Amino acid sequence: MKKLLGIGLLLALIAGGIGYFMYNKPHQNMENAKADVVLDARELFTAFEANETEANQKYLDKVVKVSGLVKEVSTDEEGNVSVTLESGSEMFGVICQMDNLTQHDKTDFKPGEQVTFKGICTGMLMDVVLVRCVLV
Amino acid sequence: MLILISISSDLKKHNLTMQKKAVFFIVATILLGTSLSAQKYFTREGKVSFYSDAPVEKIEAHNSKATAVLDAGSGNMEFAVLIKAFQFEKALMQEHFNENYMESDKFPKALFKGEVLNLDKVNLEKDGEYPVKVKGSLTIHGVTNEIESPGKFIVKDGNITASSSFTVEVADYDIQIPAVVRDNIAKEVRIDIEAGLQELKKGS
Repeated sequence: MKKLLGIGLLLALIAGGIGYFMYNKPHQNMENAKADVVLDARELFTAFEANETEANQKYLDKVVKVSGLVKEVSTDEEGNVSVTLESGSEMFGVICQMDNLTQHDKTDFKPGEQVTFKGICTGMLMDVVLVRCVLV
Repeated sequence: MLILISISSDLKKHNLTMQKKAVFFIVATILLGTSLSAQKYFTREGKVSFYSDAPVEKIEAHNSKATAVLDAGSGNMEFAVLIKAFQFEKALMQEHFNENYMESDKFPKALFKGEVLNLDKVNLEKDGEYPVKVKGSLTIHGVTNEIESPGKFIVKDGNITASSSFTVEVADYDIQIPAVVRDNIAKEVRIDIEAGLQELKKGS
C-alpha cells in the first residue's frame, strides 16, 4: 500500500513536472532555428502579390531566410528595430521586425545595405511581415 | 451671305459649348482640388494589444505591425493586423492562440473597416486631444460584427496619434474555448490600439 502510494506520488510529480515544463516551454530560439525557405525579398514579395492564398500556404509560420537591400529602418519607443527590405514595389516591402528575445550584435542598418535576415513569416498586409528576425 | 450666317451661328454654338466646357473644367478643378487637399494618413507600425483577464491567469499579447489608413476628408479608416504577428510571453499560449482559437492558417488577418463619426471636430493641424467615435465592421476569425467604440486623436507637434480601447466577446467571433480552460481565458477580451499616423505623400 505504501509502495503504491509512493509510486502514485512519483507519477503525479512527474506529470506535474511535465505540465510545468510544457507551460513554460520557451519560444523557439531564432539564432539556432533552421531556415525552412531561403529566398530574396523580391521573390517573397512577388509571391505574395501574385497569389496571397498560395503564398500563405507556402510561407506562413515558416522560418524564412530572406536577403535584400535595406530600404528603411525604424525604431519604436520601446527600442524595437524593424528593417524594411526592397521588394521591387515602390510603396511596399518586406518588413523584418527584429526579435526582442535575442541579443543583437548589430541594429544600425543603412539604406542600400545588403542584408540577410532569418525570421518567421506572418503573412502580408501591405508589406510582407516577418517577426522575430535575426541577422544572418 | 447665307453661308456666312450659317457659319456665324455655328460659331456661336461652338462658343457656347466652349463656355460650358470651361465652366465644367473650372468646377472639376475645384472638386478635384478639394478632394486632393483631403489628406490621407497612414502607418504600418500600429500597435494592437489584447488582454484576457480570467480568474486563473492573465494573458496578453502584442503586435506592433498593424497597418492603418485614415482619409481625413471622409473620415473613413481601415485597420489591419496579422494574427501570427501577435507575440505572447509564453510560447504555448501563442501556439494555442494560433492553432486552436484563431485558426490563423485559415484566417491570417483581422480587419477593421469603418469611419470616424465626428472627424469634423478634430483639427489635425492643431495640438490637442480630441475624443472621437468610431463605427464600423470588425472581422476576426472570419466573422464580421458591427462595433462602435470611443477613440482619441492626440495631435502634438504635428504628430498624430490615434488610439482606442474596446472589448470584444470571444463568442461573437465564433471562437470556441474548451471547458478545461474556461477559467484561463476571459469571455471578454480587451483590445487596445494605438497608431502614430503619417501623412501619405504620393510617391514616397
